[in-house]
Amino acid sequence: MLPAGQRASGEWIDDTLRARAEEKGLLPRTPLAGQFPRQRVEVVRAADPTAEVNRLFRLRGWTDGLPIVPPTLGRIDAMIGGGALDRHAVLGEMEPLGGVASVEKIAASAVMAGCQPDHFPVVLASIQAILEPEFNLRGVQTTDENVAPLLIVNGPAARRLGINAGWGALGPGWTANAAIGRAVRLVMNNVGGGWPGAVSFAGLGQPGRYSLCLAEREDDTPWPPLHVELGYRPEQSTVTVMRAETVINVTGGLEELASVIGSAASLFGMLWSGKATVILSPFTARRLASEGRTRADVRRELYARGRLPAETWRRSWIHATVRASDWPDWVRAAAESGSIPAVREPDDLTLVVAGADLPIPQHVYCPSWGHPPSRVTREIVAPYPGAPRG
Amino acid sequence: MPTASLVCEGFRGQAATTAAGLGLPGLPTALVPGHVDVQTVDELRQNVAAVTVDAVIKNLTETIARAGHAVAEPAPADIVFEGDFDEVNRFFYENDWSDGLPIVPPTPERVASFLRWSDRPGETELGVLLPDQRRATVWNVAVNGVMAGCRPEYMPILIALVEAMADPRYGVEHSGNTPGAETLIILNGPLIKELGFNFEQGALRDGVHANTTIGRFWRLYLRNVAGFLHHRTDKGTFGNTWRVVLAENEDALRRIGWSTIAQDEGVSDANAVTISRFTGGGVIASVFGNTPDSMLPYLADSIVRKVGWELMFTVGMGAGSQRPLLLLSPILAETLAKAGLDKAALKQRLFELCRIPAWQFERYVGAWTNLVPGRPTLHALAKDGVIPPVFAESDDPERLVPIVCRAEDLMVAVSGDPLRTNAYAFAHNGILGFPTTKPIRLPAEWSRMLREARSQ
Repeated sequence: MLPAGQRASGEWIDDTLRARAEEKGLLPRTPLAGQFPRQRVEVVRAADPTAEVNRLFRLRGWTDGLPIVPPTLGRIDAMIGGGALDRHAVLGEMEPLGGVASVEKIAASAVMAGCQPDHFPVVLASIQAILEPEFNLRGVQTTDENVAPLLIVNGPAARRLGINAGWGALGPGWTANAAIGRAVRLVMNNVGGGWPGAVSFAGLGQPGRYSLCLAEREDDTPWPPLHVELGYRPEQSTVTVMRAETVINVTGGLEELASVIGSAASLFGMLWSGKATVILSPFTARRLASEGRTRADVRRELYARGRLPAETWRRSWIHATVRASDWPDWVRAAAESGSIPAVREPDDLTLVVAGADLPIPQHVYCPSWGHPPSRVTREIVAPYPGAPRG
Repeated sequence: MPTASLVCEGFRGQAATTAAGLGLPGLPTALVPGHVDVQTVDELRQNVAAVTVDAVIKNLTETIARAGHAVAEPAPADIVFEGDFDEVNRFFYENDWSDGLPIVPPTPERVASFLRWSDRPGETELGVLLPDQRRATVWNVAVNGVMAGCRPEYMPILIALVEAMADPRYGVEHSGNTPGAETLIILNGPLIKELGFNFEQGALRDGVHANTTIGRFWRLYLRNVAGFLHHRTDKGTFGNTWRVVLAENEDALRRIGWSTIAQDEGVSDANAVTISRFTGGGVIASVFGNTPDSMLPYLADSIVRKVGWELMFTVGMGAGSQRPLLLLSPILAETLAKAGLDKAALKQRLFELCRIPAWQFERYVGAWTNLVPGRPTLHALAKDGVIPPVFAESDDPERLVPIVCRAEDLMVAVSGDPLRTNAYAFAHNGILGFPTTKPIRLPAEWSRMLREARSQ
């Protein structure tokens, strides 16, 4: 099945993409852009059909550059069977080119990404999340910044699917983490049309644009898990999607973390009051909890201590180009006091516990990008037990 | 409305992309050279004065070049697939080009054999069909005719059907509406016998080649050319299967001196098709009696029972467009004719009998469905001149009112088992599938070609 996006009015987004790629001199990357039969299904006959599908899809601009699993009808049916939605259900029109994100089209990219049918409910919930207006997918897809969706999975589904929350959770080696995040990226590419360089103007991009997906290490978290904090029940499964401008490793304790949050604060994040993400090591979380501190206490502490000196802000390039009145009140007020927190209020730090349980603890800070402030959580809905598959 | 969108030089591609994504391809933009973030106020002023202002004026004053509907599709003669019968069928089905039954592969040879049965070349445009705005051509009529399993000599009928489908009076764009009504094709003329249509026992049942395959063609054409697809453009809540072609029993009509449906609709050509969209229908079994007085109350009662919310087409949307159809078996038509009723007199009698209390009528289109905005009374509508005075002979809610505006809005056709006293009543979809009749144009060499085809 063809993974390419089609607008509700029938146009294939690839015609626009070809024009953009041509203007940008990017046709050598996708010389076959827009050149495919305009139909749901195509038959590829070759001595090595998998290789031929890979060649065609790559040259048509439908991959992330890595080999894909050919989205055959059988595989797509199985993938759809892994979710709880009808194949014709439409989750929305995907920015910026407005391809219709039907369950079937999403399944095509999920197959290509290497997902198993069990992963599909997480992919669907993630796509629902990034289609929320609050997420501003048009901005995410077209900005010259390097933002990527960060998927944080909570609840029993994370454990059942083996979504890694521990050793190397943001690194290679974990099928669910790799495939689910990759599926979301391929849908953004194929249905939304966020082709690098042609539509997406991200200056450098980031490795997180291949996949950025992990689970919270709930069993080793001393506090109620993130989704419970956000109002879900423990037995529910959710995906929380953040906009991550980049992923910064911090080794040490809360002091080091606060220092990085202060110095690595995204000025765009401040300008738009963005919501940032902190991934805290289980070791540190346990220690803080044993001292009687709650998740909220930790957020407040990071908020209080992770500050950008007002002088640094005043000397920044963006300060010179943005009118003083464009900065939100909280930034201007904080600047008066000498330093600016990374976010508007402590709650705008999303705090997740994950990673290896090392005595030399490692954390991550993900500054935010863009407008409006965004943290979207969607429940992962699996088919009812015993539902027919495929 | 004329607009101008200011775009910095580096963002022109994004602007064009986003405009297309927002459904505004070709949105006029005015260039701002460089990027405003790195320009001094003087530089910016200079750039805007030198370049942007002119562009804004052009944007606001020149005609916008609207990009057309850019859906690339195979050219008519393209080979879209090569494979065996099963492969072709799987491929067509998976691409939404088939109704789920096996199709006959539309090979170039088969399509050419169909095209021979029209004097008009394949590229002749018969109209443009909503919702896909695709051109209806003699060529794609042939392709869908092949797929439906038609014989080449059905081409003149298929072309007339598509001409009717493309007639704005019919309203093909409503074919996906939620009540999911289905079209009935009624055929008149010598072609009924020349091509072997069934017009007797089982007239509305599949099983006779011409009636069945042409009925299937109608649905395939709605799918493949107009563009009505399940879960997308089709919103029929339930829908039902396509109907086979209804051929009138013209021998019976001639015997009793009644006009055909096509003649009733004002087309006197020898051969004609009439299409009309009906929301549903049902058989009227065992009509007992030998006089109009004994037979008509039952027939009228059955017509009334088929019509409920459809009364909105009598007084609401497209007021006066409700056209119920009564299908009589020949023996019933002959019995009524023997008593001296011609078609016009029959319709007048039915018009007087097909009546319900005003309060009940108002409930169907008002309290129960909210289909007529503001729920006006029939009395008020008639006083305002929206519907005929017959609806307001008094303001007594118990008074009887008709279900159509005029006697001639009722349609009567004759077909089915000649000697069984059954009838069939159809409720109509009004303006969302209005009766449309088209003459069937035969190729100049029709008789010779048909003779040769039969001798093969």
